Amino acid sequence: MGLLSAAAGRAEVPVFPVVGVGGRQAAEALWLMPGIRVVDSPRAAVLLVVVGRLTRALLHPTMLVHDQLPGPRATLWWPGAGGATPDDGAQGTEDLLAALPDVVTTVPGDTAGLLAVFADLLSGRRPSGRPALVDVEYPRWRGVGPHGHGGEGMMGGVPFGRPLAEMADDPDGLMLDQLPLRVGPFFPAWPPGLILDVGLQGDVLRGVAVGDNPYRSWPGDEPVGPLDTALFLATRTMATTVAALEVARARHHLRWLSRTLRGHGLAARAQRVGALAQSLSVDDRPVVEALARRLGRDAGLAAATSGVGIVDRAALERVGIDRYGGPVARAAGLGIDARTHDPAYADLGFAPVIHHEGDARARLRQRAAEAAQALSLAERAGEIVRPPGRPVEGPRGVLAPREPLPSSALLALLPDLLDGLEWGDAVTTVASLDLDLEEAALDQSVATWPARTSGGPTGASTTGAAPTSTGPAPTGPAPTSRVTP
Amino acid sequence: MNWSAPLPGVVLVGTVLVAGAYVASVLDAGAARLVAGRPLRVGELVAGPWREAALLARIRRSTTERPDAQTWALAPALLAAMAGVAVATVPLAPGVAVADVDDGIVLFGAAMAVVMVGAFLHGWSSNSVFPLVGGYRFVALALSYEMPLALVLIAAALPAQSLSVGAIVESQQGLWNVVRQPLGLPLFLVAGMGLAFWGPLGMSDGADLAGGTGVEASGPDRLAWALARHFVLVAVAVMGAAVFLGGWQGPGLPGALWMAIKTLVLLAVVVGVGHRVARIRLERFVVVAWAVLIPLALVDVFASGALAL
Amino acid sequence: MTDAALVADVAIWLFGGGSVVAAWLVFRTDSMVRAAYWLLASFVAVGMVMVLLQARFLGLVLVLMMAGEMTIMAAFMVMFMMNPAGLNPMSMVHQHTTAKVAGVVAFAGLAFVGLVAEFPDRPVDPASEPTAELGEELLGDSMLIFETAGVTLLATMIGAIAIAGKRGRFGNAQEGSAPPPVDPDAPAGPDAHPSPMHGGHGGHGGMHH
Repeated sequence: MGLLSAAAGRAEVPVFPVVGVGGRQAAEALWLMPGIRVVDSPRAAVLLVVVGRLTRALLHPTMLVHDQLPGPRATLWWPGAGGATPDDGAQGTEDLLAALPDVVTTVPGDTAGLLAVFADLLSGRRPSGRPALVDVEYPRWRGVGPHGHGGEGMMGGVPFGRPLAEMADDPDGLMLDQLPLRVGPFFPAWPPGLILDVGLQGDVLRGVAVGDNPYRSWPGDEPVGPLDTALFLATRTMATTVAALEVARARHHLRWLSRTLRGHGLAARAQRVGALAQSLSVDDRPVVEALARRLGRDAGLAAATSGVGIVDRAALERVGIDRYGGPVARAAGLGIDARTHDPAYADLGFAPVIHHEGDARARLRQRAAEAAQALSLAERAGEIVRPPGRPVEGPRGVLAPREPLPSSALLALLPDLLDGLEWGDAVTTVASLDLDLEEAALDQSVATWPARTSGGPTGASTTGAAPTSTGPAPTGPAPTSRVTP
Repeated sequence: MNWSAPLPGVVLVGTVLVAGAYVASVLDAGAARLVAGRPLRVGELVAGPWREAALLARIRRSTTERPDAQTWALAPALLAAMAGVAVATVPLAPGVAVADVDDGIVLFGAAMAVVMVGAFLHGWSSNSVFPLVGGYRFVALALSYEMPLALVLIAAALPAQSLSVGAIVESQQGLWNVVRQPLGLPLFLVAGMGLAFWGPLGMSDGADLAGGTGVEASGPDRLAWALARHFVLVAVAVMGAAVFLGGWQGPGLPGALWMAIKTLVLLAVVVGVGHRVARIRLERFVVVAWAVLIPLALVDVFASGALAL
Repeated sequence: MTDAALVADVAIWLFGGGSVVAAWLVFRTDSMVRAAYWLLASFVAVGMVMVLLQARFLGLVLVLMMAGEMTIMAAFMVMFMMNPAGLNPMSMVHQHTTAKVAGVVAFAGLAFVGLVAEFPDRPVDPASEPTAELGEELLGDSMLIFETAGVTLLATMIGAIAIAGKRGRFGNAQEGSAPPPVDPDAPAGPDAHPSPMHGGHGGHGGMHH
């Protein structure tokens, strides 16, 4: 046992990240840290790393995910990324500290601290984290019905505490089961915070609705933390050099590329691109150009993405994204780019990159090409400074004063776009849109996001019987460590 | 030594599977580092699989609400057992075969068909959505793997005029099947990669399903499933080395060493492809399998038959 | 009796008994998937008996085919039974009276045959090659029958795939399918529905008229 523990203590640390407000970048850095392995399912994790500040809407899902860690387990909190500290009054975070009393608070990116917690946990110096929730049975099913399992006949009842799937038309003219399912906010293949309520017929999505944005500020919460497009938003009030903006754009697209490659099962290639993004400078132009060429030619990626998630001009107009431009619109042939009319770019010979197919592959090639183009612009821009105030072309589209941010419009694309897709294609499509739920949360003006004025997570959803708000194990998590009353 | 006696047979097959699984995971980690552009660190690579296994052994088992516990436990056992059956049919050196029966490749095919049952059960029995979707994905794809697999093996049996793996190895004296039937090995590897749900064909346990059939497994269960998957991969590589690369035949070195080298090469190819090629779309793969792979496999059979005549 | 023959005898009885027990369990379980796989277990046991009786090829092919077929059967049962995901326990025994009568009659018939028939006693020559003989039989004298059956099955398979394919008999599957209308004057095909992807297309002709 001693030998086993010693060996186990030197294994790569399996972590499951929970991304709070302002935590996305620090969470993505986990993928690049030596000695750490980010896992897709909480069942495979030993450490739960909460990055950034939790809103109240994220609290209950976090507790569910925590209880899905099989143990020995521990929770690390990396505050700071969202500007929060344990005592600044951020409600969700205080609740977290109350709900998971064993949380260890360290500095974001502190690998040594993380490894120390892991070592203590395996050597028994630190006890495994206690469950955050108690198991509540809801609705009652034991002893009900002819078999005592809550069901009645073929279609009736709530067998094992869960309503049966409904029947619905399928595209082949049959009536088949449709399972209502809520996936998110921590489903690893989706951007953090995204909650989708879908009907699943087999692995085909039928009827998709976007759930409440958990990053949305509620009264008493801090406003949303620094976005990944912070530099671009800052141009509203601050002069910046064109070179800095363009390197930031290239970095943004490379980080997206890294996430996307991971979603396509290419974790190692994703790591290489992620490392490149982290240390990116103007000098990397040839590397990024070569990368863009290679990705454009990659037959495997082409097969995985071409023809998937086609966003055409009509769909763009319907959600108003034709005003924002951005890579999604340019990949569908709309040549909108704020840089075209930006005086700061006048001498750089800028012309927007355009693809016409509008599918996930076009968006992949679009962003790869724009990353290369951005570095080339940065190289030529020298010391050109851009005065504040004008609309700026952000990595997702035009950011103009008093206009909604592009993420809200991109989110509004989802229901129509995903309906009828196979699950894998839906994941490819969602990834290809480069959504950011924090950016969308900042936007109060879009109708997709009905304003919430009061209340926390509702009572019903905190029961053990409906633990559907955690991504990876949505129907049957019921951790053994929970107490059945 | 009589390798077909029970005890030596089990020990031999077990050794091959465990050693192969270990080497495959070292190769996998090494390929990941190469592709990611990180330093190789041989010491870490060599110790890595043991450490991970030790960690998984330390993590607690977990369960879901109302799983089918028996079939859940059965699934990795089925995969491991069938991988063992497959390896048993292959002569690992001249005269060293546990069960070189005259219907060896049929036995291999039957074992691989039961692998499909194991993968489906692993997804179905945990009573959870993503594992279930993963299990159904495997079923939807399995026919597309089994058909070309069976056809290329039949083609390899033609020049040997026997279904025995030993006879197929003997028939490659002077000319390996990889040269005689150039379509055989690539098709076999694609199908084999599918059966071990590895790399681009790992759709049943894919990242888009957060791990598919394996989502709910933790600790020892996760270890068992990972081992079982590796065993199937090893079985495919061993069979590929025997049927297409001349098995134990080769100049200079002892037969067992040749067999090990050839198996390693195939494992390296599969593992490398896994890190380079993106997850394939279900729909597209089924179309490619039926419209391209199976016709190519038929061409392979007809051409091999014509040559054998 | 040699050791090997003893082992084979014991194995035959074990597999024979196992196949009966597994077949009985098919009807005792309340889960469609389990029922399908108990049936597979029964088939595997029968296949092993065939292997032990020197019909190795046929025995192994039985396992190979049944593993696939039982999985497909399980998948289709779960898909088409009005019992989503098989969550509600379901009896695997129906039409009790008919089943009992059929069972008793079948047992009596087989038992009668077993008692009165004179079974041949022709030990297989250990040097014989059953697989090769089977091949000779199938592709020698019975070639015509075998090939006719094979080509017919192949044509059926291709036809089924053609119908089920994306451009099958109901038009492009991506646009939703529409069965021929009950009213002979009404237009047929997907165009008859204003929005096939969202409309109530279904296997009920005339539902929307």
